[in-house]
Amino acid sequence: MVDLILIRATLRELLRPRRLAIAAVLVLLPSLLAAVWRHYGEESLTPELAYNALSTMLVFGFTLPILSVLFGTSAVSQEVEQRTIVYILSRPVARARILLARFLGGLIGITLTLCVAALLLAMTTYGFSDLGSSRLSRDLLILPVGALAYGSLSLLLATAVDRSLVYGLFFVFGWESWVPMLPGKFGEFSVMAHLRVLAPHPQPETATMDIGSLLQAMTPQAISAATAKSALLWTILLALAMAAVVFSVKEYAPREDAE
Amino acid sequence: MIVLDRASRWYGQVIGINDITCQVPPGLTALLGPNGAGKSTLIKLVSGQLRPTTGTVTVDDLRPFANPKVFKTLGYCPEGESLYDDLSGRDFVSLMAGMAGLRGLKLRKGVDDAIERVGMTANAGRRIGGYSKGMRQRIKLAQAFVHDPDVLILDEPLNGLDPQGRHEISTLIRALADEGKCVLISSHILYEVEQLTHNILLLYRGRLLAQGDVYHIRGLIDKHPHRIAFQTAEPRRLGAALLELPHVLSLQLDRRDPERLELETTNPEAFYSRLPEVLRDSNVELDGFDSPDNNLESVFRYLVKD
Repeated sequence: MVDLILIRATLRELLRPRRLAIAAVLVLLPSLLAAVWRHYGEESLTPELAYNALSTMLVFGFTLPILSVLFGTSAVSQEVEQRTIVYILSRPVARARILLARFLGGLIGITLTLCVAALLLAMTTYGFSDLGSSRLSRDLLILPVGALAYGSLSLLLATAVDRSLVYGLFFVFGWESWVPMLPGKFGEFSVMAHLRVLAPHPQPETATMDIGSLLQAMTPQAISAATAKSALLWTILLALAMAAVVFSVKEYAPREDAE
Repeated sequence: MIVLDRASRWYGQVIGINDITCQVPPGLTALLGPNGAGKSTLIKLVSGQLRPTTGTVTVDDLRPFANPKVFKTLGYCPEGESLYDDLSGRDFVSLMAGMAGLRGLKLRKGVDDAIERVGMTANAGRRIGGYSKGMRQRIKLAQAFVHDPDVLILDEPLNGLDPQGRHEISTLIRALADEGKCVLISSHILYEVEQLTHNILLLYRGRLLAQGDVYHIRGLIDKHPHRIAFQTAEPRRLGAALLELPHVLSLQLDRRDPERLELETTNPEAFYSRLPEVLRDSNVELDGFDSPDNNLESVFRYLVKD
């Protein structure tokens, strides 16, 4: 019951106007671009190509990591920064339970947002009738896994360090952008590389290549689906367990107040 | 019962509290000390927000840090003004009551009672973001005792309240203590504490300076010369009259303020009892008087012989 109260309270926080506005922009952006692309794009651009490109670039590449980091870190850091954490930490509920319930509340919000973004994108590119031929159903299965993976890593950051949002953004837009392209087995240290194995979005062959595509072409991913599932599962479990341990033993009393 | 046994807390090189041993029994106990004395550190140790660096802190024989068993019977009202500004006062207290395990009718009744006792019934439906400082203080207090805890830790609970509010909340705090709860409040205002309880813990620079009845502390203070400043148009005539009283050690005219006279006495109680008589006999008109020593910092300076 306490878990439900915490989940409900977290979802309520997500419904604040500012957060709703951010979510609305992130939800609508891929489908708006798809609509523009469809209207002004070349005829050779099929719905499949448009969906794959925008899903890879915006839904998986932008909305998923940024929402996961924002809400993953805010589960703790917002309470610490606003100094309201003292209220929830002085209630008769185990700290780990508080953390995981708040995380779950955030995850529900992120997953819904991501699924709506993917659904709108598919509807815009394929139309209502051809939705079945899209990769939407697989994406709808993998997006929550991605949210869980990025969210749990962000949660661990939030429990362990100050300014977790900065580190989180550096991770998803720095590490996650470049590490999968590095030669050798570096790709296995990236969440996104594993997500791409589970939810592939084939891209068109082009005559010209940017440096990213070139690096990817030089280092073809050899991660199997089983490895990807296992790696993501362990990442999620370890990150959540470590976050729960850190949150249970760390002091969160505001330092400025300490005499 | 709250027990500290040789408890110390350091923040790196900075000391919070140092080697404190004391017990807080059921009833109302005030933690008194000037700013920086270590009151908040001690409160945070007892309320399970911090761990002691050395020594032990227990609440009903349990160590409070991150201990849900302790929080079942402990209510905590922090000092800061931070609150969930987007929630209404009622939603905030309900959330805290729900997290404390109250459900259904018990929750609703508990929330209504707590809100009523702090005098917030009329404003409970409003957003906390629009509350005044006094209202925030009241709603913070409501969440602390909504689950009917045996131990209440209140960090500067009278801050930000107007005189009427202070009176109401003081009455409420005394009532909670009279119900048999162990209530520990912190304050840096001596007169405020004297009106609430006689049982005090005196902290200064992280150390426990004295513990016990406030009259005992007053007694310690009164052994030292006590200064009293008078404001009058005839300071010399008043000085001459006051010199006839026993226990007057010295008199001093203020060079910067020609209408101010300062006096030192070793027995303020006897002095104050004779003062009206002297004023009447000398027929000196007094514009006002006060004691610069009534602020807590002076009291502590006396006690540590700074």
